[in-house]
Amino acid sequence: MTGQPAGETPRPASYYHLARAVLVREFLLFVRYPANAIGGIVVSLFFFGLLFYGGRMIAGQALTDSLEGIVVGYFLWTLAVGAYSSISNDIGSEVQWGTLERHIMTPFGFAPVALLKGVAKVVRTFLTSAVILAVMLLLTDTTLQLPVVTITVVAGLAIASVLGLGFAAGGVAVLYKRIGNWLNLLQFGFILLISAPAFDLGWTKFLPLAQGSALLQRAMIDGTRLWEFPALDLLVLVGVAVGYVVLGYALFEAATRRARRLGVLGDY
Amino acid sequence: METQERPQTSADAAATDEPPDDAALVVEGLAKRFGSGEAAVTAVDDVSFSVGRGSVVGLLGPNGAGKTTTIKAILGMVLPDAGSVRIDGIDVSEQPSAAYANVDAMLEGARNDYWRLTVRENLRYFATIGGVDPDSVTARHERLLDQLDLTEKADEAVRDLSRGMKQKVSLASVLATDADVVFLDEPTLGLDVESSLTLRRELRRIVDERSLTVVLCSHDMDVIEAVCDRVVIMNDGRVIADDTVERLLSGDGTQRFSVASSDIGEALLARLRKRFEVTQVTTDGERTRVEVATDSEGFYDLTDQLRAADVTLDSVNTAQRDLEDVFLGLTDDGEGRR
Repeated sequence: MTGQPAGETPRPASYYHLARAVLVREFLLFVRYPANAIGGIVVSLFFFGLLFYGGRMIAGQALTDSLEGIVVGYFLWTLAVGAYSSISNDIGSEVQWGTLERHIMTPFGFAPVALLKGVAKVVRTFLTSAVILAVMLLLTDTTLQLPVVTITVVAGLAIASVLGLGFAAGGVAVLYKRIGNWLNLLQFGFILLISAPAFDLGWTKFLPLAQGSALLQRAMIDGTRLWEFPALDLLVLVGVAVGYVVLGYALFEAATRRARRLGVLGDY
Repeated sequence: METQERPQTSADAAATDEPPDDAALVVEGLAKRFGSGEAAVTAVDDVSFSVGRGSVVGLLGPNGAGKTTTIKAILGMVLPDAGSVRIDGIDVSEQPSAAYANVDAMLEGARNDYWRLTVRENLRYFATIGGVDPDSVTARHERLLDQLDLTEKADEAVRDLSRGMKQKVSLASVLATDADVVFLDEPTLGLDVESSLTLRRELRRIVDERSLTVVLCSHDMDVIEAVCDRVVIMNDGRVIADDTVERLLSGDGTQRFSVASSDIGEALLARLRKRFEVTQVTTDGERTRVEVATDSEGFYDLTDQLRAADVTLDSVNTAQRDLEDVFLGLTDDGEGRR
């Protein structure tokens, strides 16, 4: 360590300090620049309004019958889109700003920093999606079960798999640069994943979001609590979440390694 | 105006020296090629140098000399094809986290910090990322803000500051960590003359105060001359000189003497060329100014020659070499190029 002027002894930062720094930064940006969050909420609700009122005009009773499922699915979709875009765009921005390098050189190692940043994004997305859910329920006059612990755990694990996709997309952005808009198109693929028949078509439960979506529907529509789900279903949920995070991070690592070999890391 | 070749400096001896045992940074045989086949470009070719603990080394070179690739390879941003980098004795390819634990960098053309956070928030954030509890270095941060004239702007978002101020914040955020090896790429870029002077003075003071090891890349020779203990000059991907600023400036012990007279004709000029290293000849109407590179003994010889030719001198001056002369001499396509 460097020589210090008298009366000053730097203490090493712990993971607590790291988590605090990352979360505080996210919080500050959230409260200081609310336009982004509010804009996201308004756009999401606008599209939901189109879906709801447009669908009711066309499909009438059919839509009303499946309204609860649509609200839960849309809630999960906003969560997934928020987490995915924030993590993939964040990596792209960090490369552009020259701050990614500083995170890569951190003595904590990049993986814990990236994971904590991902968690911070998910927490922020939960807040905005909760507002969207509340407005959707008011708008459609629908009632859902809201077991907070179950929803937090199931939705959190469901979008963890999306974080993995975000890392992979971020890696692609590091390598090929300004392709963020193309990568954002992937968000529409989440609709298919959320509506995948995980309980009827077994293999689909291993796709990102699918198992989490199915369990979330049960929790919010039928009121099933976390401990009432079959252990195997929860195990699959956890396995899929961990698997996609690990796979996504591995792809990010591989992409950054290739970018370093090509000398294009940070060259925007 | 006629211009002769500049005298060659002999200041690259240090490049071949063995790195000292306590070197903070050792680069050995670094090589990197981009592309393949005929389109391949050699960016860095067998680059070796070391930086002693607590010293400031300037990395100089024309555009495309390989400075940025070298720095990026040291920092792990570019994977080299060959060679090794050790920071505090730790090989960066084997133990990157440990090797970079006390390293930070300010890269050219990048923000290096978050513009939507305030200056103070940036210092706290990057201190933490750099492995220091920010609460334990509050006093250092306040001092840094003061030294870089940022105290008044400490609670403003960086995005609202001028370009020069942003540059200072970028530097402050690097110095806010507890890094003892720091890479600064063009730290004075975009600063006005006064800010640049302040920054180089404070940078040197901070470096001495904290015994920092610094690798500084800049096109501003004044910054390099004012702040650096040693200079590594690169050209075409290779190190062509590596020595202290003083030795680079003193070169081979010669000075340049400039004599002006209306009595210097072509015949005398030809004799002077044969006897001395004439570096420059300019004519202004009747008057001819001749610049000669020689030592003090040679200068006496020169005055004897001029007296013998019955030359009445209008003026005699000594020309002090600066780092820019040395740099140009080494990187020009002349004899100075190795």
